Amino acid sequence: MTRSNHSSVNPSLSSLARVIPTLVLILSFMFFVAPLLTLSRYALQNVPTILLGWSTLFDKWSLSGLTKAFSDPGFWDALTITLRLALGAVAVTLVLLVPTAIWVHLRLPRARAFIEFLTVLPFMIPAIALVAGIVVVKPHVRWFLNSDLSLIPFYAVLALPFTYRSLDSGLRAIPLHTLVEASRSLGGGWLTTIVKVLVPNLRSAIISATFLTAAVVIGEFTIANTLLKETLPRFQATYTGREPQGGYGLNLLIIVVTILIFVALNWLTRRPSLPRRPFHHSSATAEANQETST
Amino acid sequence: MPVLPLVPGTSGGHALSVAPTRNFRRVLRHPWWGVVPFFLFLILFLLIPAISVFLNALRTTDGWSLSAMGEGMSGQNFEAFRFSVTFSAGAAVVGAFFGIVLAYAVATSRRPRWLRSVATSFSGVAANMGGLPLAFAFLSLLGRQGVLTKILDYFGWRIYDGDFTLGGVNGLIIVYSYFNIPLMLLVTLPAIDGLRPTWREACSNLGGTAWTYWRRIGIPVLAPSILGGFLLLFANSLSAYATARVLTDNSKIVPLRIGFFLGGDVRIGEDAVGYSLAAWMIIIMGLAMTVYWLARRRAERWQS
Repeated sequence: MTRSNHSSVNPSLSSLARVIPTLVLILSFMFFVAPLLTLSRYALQNVPTILLGWSTLFDKWSLSGLTKAFSDPGFWDALTITLRLALGAVAVTLVLLVPTAIWVHLRLPRARAFIEFLTVLPFMIPAIALVAGIVVVKPHVRWFLNSDLSLIPFYAVLALPFTYRSLDSGLRAIPLHTLVEASRSLGGGWLTTIVKVLVPNLRSAIISATFLTAAVVIGEFTIANTLLKETLPRFQATYTGREPQGGYGLNLLIIVVTILIFVALNWLTRRPSLPRRPFHHSSATAEANQETST
Repeated sequence: MPVLPLVPGTSGGHALSVAPTRNFRRVLRHPWWGVVPFFLFLILFLLIPAISVFLNALRTTDGWSLSAMGEGMSGQNFEAFRFSVTFSAGAAVVGAFFGIVLAYAVATSRRPRWLRSVATSFSGVAANMGGLPLAFAFLSLLGRQGVLTKILDYFGWRIYDGDFTLGGVNGLIIVYSYFNIPLMLLVTLPAIDGLRPTWREACSNLGGTAWTYWRRIGIPVLAPSILGGFLLLFANSLSAYATARVLTDNSKIVPLRIGFFLGGDVRIGEDAVGYSLAAWMIIIMGLAMTVYWLARRRAERWQS
């Protein structure tokens, strides 16, 4: 088939063509894993790098580095603020975006591209420029911005490109008009239709939006640092300066939590998997797959 | 943005006595009302801050002027923009190249069946893992006291003898590659999947070699995705703040420069000049993302 067609020209070239991708995969694996491993070493082994060698390689490993940060009073305050911000941002996102996305799909299909363009505006106005604007308006709205929770809407804005996109593709995948007409003609009001019919059908899109928002809030540093809000990332930065090992432990924990968020996301939104369509495939299966995917 | 006649009767309502209520009803039932809360939210928390950046950059003690915008792009500020744009473009080139190579390797490999799903899932995590943890992870690997630094030292390669630092151009490119490469993989993988085997067959039936295939079909079809990915990586690197903040104090990095100005640590000139940096940032990001948007539209033609 296609493979033999071009590989028969030059056998040494084809073995090279098989070795290179494998090599690329192995090297990439090392690049992506190495920083995580060394971070773990700092977090779990209490030996300065200068003394690190064959003789000390297995000394002083312990899990205590991971939990050191918990004994710092600032940690719990910062964690509380960040958890509140995450809950708030998720709530704002869901209450505002789910009805908006449904409405746009149902009643304003012509405006879909325009709305989608609006939702990627936060990419064009990066966090550092957004916070510059917040500093400008701050004197007029001190009563609002003095509260730590005032960050909630801004974090919802930062997550908007990701969250709207997942809701949008969720809505594209369901027979929205049919569901709404069925529910309405059975006497369901709008609220009933959204809560009892649409939300269950948009389950994975809503889960994605929730987790993506949480991930944005857990990692956001720019706005919190400029406005001097003591969120978890800001605590991470100052604490790691004060207490390196505990700080590295905390960073490791946060990476693990972030990875778990995405793993849970994958697991919760998994669908019965369609046959995948790799590049080297016989044309018949590729054509068949195309039909299932459109 | 749609402008609705909000006050009933003002739009020619006096002429007919029945029309106002009917017009009013029609306005009330207009579907745009449904997105008003969303628009208000965007205006309050995104557009008003963004517009006030521009207003503050354009307003001086004696009226409106473009002088601050000009100053924001000259002298030291210009140097900062040149440095940031250069290293972001470098990071985007490196990330795009390795991202495509990795995407191609993932797309063509069939042996471990789980490879593809693991690669895309991990990319989803890594592409979003900018920020502090990443910077600290690389400090532990390649910082002055890093493990790899120590190992290379043992083999006689003292990387810190030159002018290498993690906060310098090369260092930042390496660190940013950690989220840039996976992002490029996610952008180009669907495009590589979209290359249909029939095209390759058609090409070889017509007497084309592998080289002809790539030059005449493969690369042109992938080009919009590659360009789009490159711009996304560029914008991503240019606007990154947290990672750079941990690794360096270098005020040539524009986001850090804006941060220092906002924190009152650095005087850049008048206040307006400081805000003009943020305004220029929005302009550059807007341009990059607009071209990205157009490129993505074009790229989607062959996918689906």
